[in-house]
Amino acid sequence: MEITWEDGHHSTYSGEQLRWACPCAECRGEAGAPGRLAKINRLSPEELLIKDVTLVGQYALQIAFESGHATGIYTFRYLMSLPPRPPEV
Amino acid sequence: MLEVLGHIQDPDLGRDVVSLGMIKELEVSPQGKVSFTFELTTPACPVRDRFKTQAQDLVGDLPGVTAVDVRMTANVRQSFMRPKPSEILPGVKQTIAVASGKGGVGKSTVAVNLAAALRKSGATVGLLDADIYGPSVPAMTGSRQEPEQVNGRLLPIEAHGLKLMSFGHIYPGDQPTIYRGPMVGKAIEAMMVQVEWGQLDYLVIDLPPGTGDASLTLAQAVPLTGVAIVCTPQDVATDIAVKALQMFRKLNVTPLGLIENMSWYICPDCGHRHEIFSHGGAEAAAKRLGVPFLGAIPLEEGIRADADTGTPVVISRPDSAGAKAFEHIASQVAARTSIQSFRQLPVINVH
Repeated sequence: MEITWEDGHHSTYSGEQLRWACPCAECRGEAGAPGRLAKINRLSPEELLIKDVTLVGQYALQIAFESGHATGIYTFRYLMSLPPRPPEV
Repeated sequence: MLEVLGHIQDPDLGRDVVSLGMIKELEVSPQGKVSFTFELTTPACPVRDRFKTQAQDLVGDLPGVTAVDVRMTANVRQSFMRPKPSEILPGVKQTIAVASGKGGVGKSTVAVNLAAALRKSGATVGLLDADIYGPSVPAMTGSRQEPEQVNGRLLPIEAHGLKLMSFGHIYPGDQPTIYRGPMVGKAIEAMMVQVEWGQLDYLVIDLPPGTGDASLTLAQAVPLTGVAIVCTPQDVATDIAVKALQMFRKLNVTPLGLIENMSWYICPDCGHRHEIFSHGGAEAAAKRLGVPFLGAIPLEEGIRADADTGTPVVISRPDSAGAKAFEHIASQVAARTSIQSFRQLPVINVH
């Protein structure tokens, strides 16, 4: 997924990176309890493929994966804070 | 000709009017008569008259020009530069939310008069009452009829040249709406999606107070051009207005600015000016937060009386101080929304 920000700079994200960064309560955990992503160390290929991206208002993206997982709302601020993906060789 | 017109700067957009594409249909007759169209980004432009005089003077001073005919028009631009129109409100160019922190500060009164003032300036305007529990728009606009349905879609109610939709139209009379939070979101979405809003320059959205379901749904469902926050001058109101403003900031909705309502009262008997709820609190808060102060509205019996009889004061008493204040605020809001139309949202590509 590629984003061109308001100021013109670009960011690129892989489906895998975004899936592991999913901010939803199920993945991250809530109320002190660890989430699903803390308990596993691998995800199946269909969990890593982006199926659809929807704009939420003007502050976030909702990313749906091929597995059906779509509860993560990635705010622009959060996406900007993710480490830049190394350029492909 | 364009070179001299290029000296006119738009104070809000920060660029000259020629590079903004505002000068159109420029014609010069062999006799030296010049005519052109000056297309503003809003009919409620606060510097409309100044632009016209400036254009006439600058072109009139050129050698060989015998007469200048400037046609002032306006074409409201779509909010944000984006490849396709918003899917949820496809015909609406700008969506302006009116919010507050605390209740009872006159949000609906401001929303109704803001909509009416924009309409008066020549824009096509809709007003969506997103206050599901306490809808005030039907009473304040004298429109209590139920909406008609065509092909499963609701037609907005028309009053005072405005297109209106409120839960008070859908459930009239004294029936309460007894909804839990998530239902409020659904109701507001339905009023956007299932209502035939048509083509509108501005859709003003009257929000309920607070930072809960209604505001959140709205900020998630539609790219709002911006939000105007209403408060009264006293600390207890401005403190909470700041919370509302910060909520919209977190959701990347631009605060168009703060409006101070019930700012002063002129006693009709003695003419003395009273500041019942203090004065200047909103302006100070705006300065502190680095957002525009959009204007102050007096506490007037006429504003209340006309709201109760269903006519916005900008229509019923256009010469009153209250009406003038609303018109000033409307032009400020329109200017701020024009700036937003040049903003580019992030572009997302998936491959």
